[in-house]
Amino acid sequence: MHLLVQAVILGILIGGVYALMASGLTLVFGIMRVINVAQGAMVILGAYLSYTLFSSVGIDPLLSILLIAPVMFALGVGIHRVFIRALRAESGEEMSLLVTWATALAIEGVLSVTYTTNLRSTIPGYAQRSWIILGYRVAEVRVFGFVISVVILSALSLLLARTRFGRSVRATVQNPTSAKLLGVDADRVSALGFGIGISTAAAAGAVFGIIYPFNPGSHYDLISRLLSIVVLGGLGSLGGAVVAALLLGVGESVVAVMISPSWSSFVFFIVLIVILVFRPQGLFGVRERGAL
Amino acid sequence: MGTALLRLQGVVAGYGRGDVLHGVDLTVEEGAVTCLIGPNGAGKSTVLKTVSGLLRPKRGRITLLGRDIGGLSPQAVLSHGVVHVPQERSLFPSMSVWDNVLMGGFVLRDRAVVRRRIEHIADRFPIVANRRHERAGSLSGGEQKIVEIARALMLDPVLVLMDEPSTGLDPRARQLVFHTITEINEGGRTVLLVEQNARSGLAIAHHGAVMESGRVRLEGTGSSLLADPEVARLFLGAAPANRG
Repeated sequence: MHLLVQAVILGILIGGVYALMASGLTLVFGIMRVINVAQGAMVILGAYLSYTLFSSVGIDPLLSILLIAPVMFALGVGIHRVFIRALRAESGEEMSLLVTWATALAIEGVLSVTYTTNLRSTIPGYAQRSWIILGYRVAEVRVFGFVISVVILSALSLLLARTRFGRSVRATVQNPTSAKLLGVDADRVSALGFGIGISTAAAAGAVFGIIYPFNPGSHYDLISRLLSIVVLGGLGSLGGAVVAALLLGVGESVVAVMISPSWSSFVFFIVLIVILVFRPQGLFGVRERGAL
Repeated sequence: MGTALLRLQGVVAGYGRGDVLHGVDLTVEEGAVTCLIGPNGAGKSTVLKTVSGLLRPKRGRITLLGRDIGGLSPQAVLSHGVVHVPQERSLFPSMSVWDNVLMGGFVLRDRAVVRRRIEHIADRFPIVANRRHERAGSLSGGEQKIVEIARALMLDPVLVLMDEPSTGLDPRARQLVFHTITEINEGGRTVLLVEQNARSGLAIAHHGAVMESGRVRLEGTGSSLLADPEVARLFLGAAPANRG
């Protein structure tokens, strides 16, 4: 029982970080119907940027998010302007898969040339420290990562719920034609939404780089997990992605502890198959357009 | 009445490479309800989409009080006071009724103006005040259409484009929608109405136009078109009313 509770705690903590990674993926899909398969590569790029700032300048990897997120936001807006916006024809949604996949491969290539394919880890002083709470060991870095994820996701929720920009995003997600007819600039919403999606991935990448070793090819495994999360939550549903990330984080952790770590990632794919067969719109999605 | 508010001259437009409008000429007079009728595929909705900026005209001119608005973005057309209530349900289903109406004033920057307008609309349309916290998706089809019309008035528009507002509604809701259109017209708004239910549409229209194959084939007052035997045979599904 102790082991199980320990696994659940770990699962919730990593689930929070997964939620941050997946939030951008589901946001971008909700606004543009684009499945950004470069989201995993953006997480890894964020991990490398944080690693570099830490190892060469000594900036704390968690504080480095304040620098990385704006840079990655600008990169996201740039990618949208140059590649995604050009695909507004009838085949845009399908073509965007190829474009974002090409972006992922380009990022992987640049990282491989720059850093080689050796595994790296960002190891600040607190990376190995942990607290014992009620008899359960909790790694400090996982708690910090979870808290940062909650703070960023809360800020994102507030942005969507309380601001004019947030209203325009929600309107675009729910009815893009109607939003356009009411004066919402769909291009601007898409570009900013894409930028936000990429910056949340990079922020999560800074946390990911402290918890797990990574190399340029780590994005393949990540994007598979992230796609499972957003499909389970319902494509386009931010709340759904958070719940799904926590469920799958816990599932992965429990299987790793109670059965074997080699079976843990299997949880994501079993869930993906089951959900696609029995409830393709996911837990919180709707068959038509989603709602953030 | 009498001044031309909106004028389309030789407008050609369509989707992709195919044209749906093959040279539409139409004048909408200020303060009037103009109703476009015609068979499916005649191009009625395409006219509205081309005016509101969802489609760019390939040829021809669209002017509003003499100013060219053809090919402008929906946002720019909106800034000229032209609002479009599309045929399909256009509320944001997960937002509250109140937030939906607020979205009608999205382009307004002055919060005091937005507040004044929405309060006025809530007075005018009780459903907006009484159901303000409910999700728009939970309203019936007729209620949603009324909220859509209320939302369209947030910009205090000079021209309201309405695309088949009665589609899918029961007779009572349909009657309420047509009554609301008449009321907003009596309040001074010009309305360009596309209506599949030709008899009801023409009955509230000052002016009517019959479209066929992407062109306006016939024009007249609403009552004259209702009495026209050819129009009755083709679009009203019955013999014309005996006007004595």
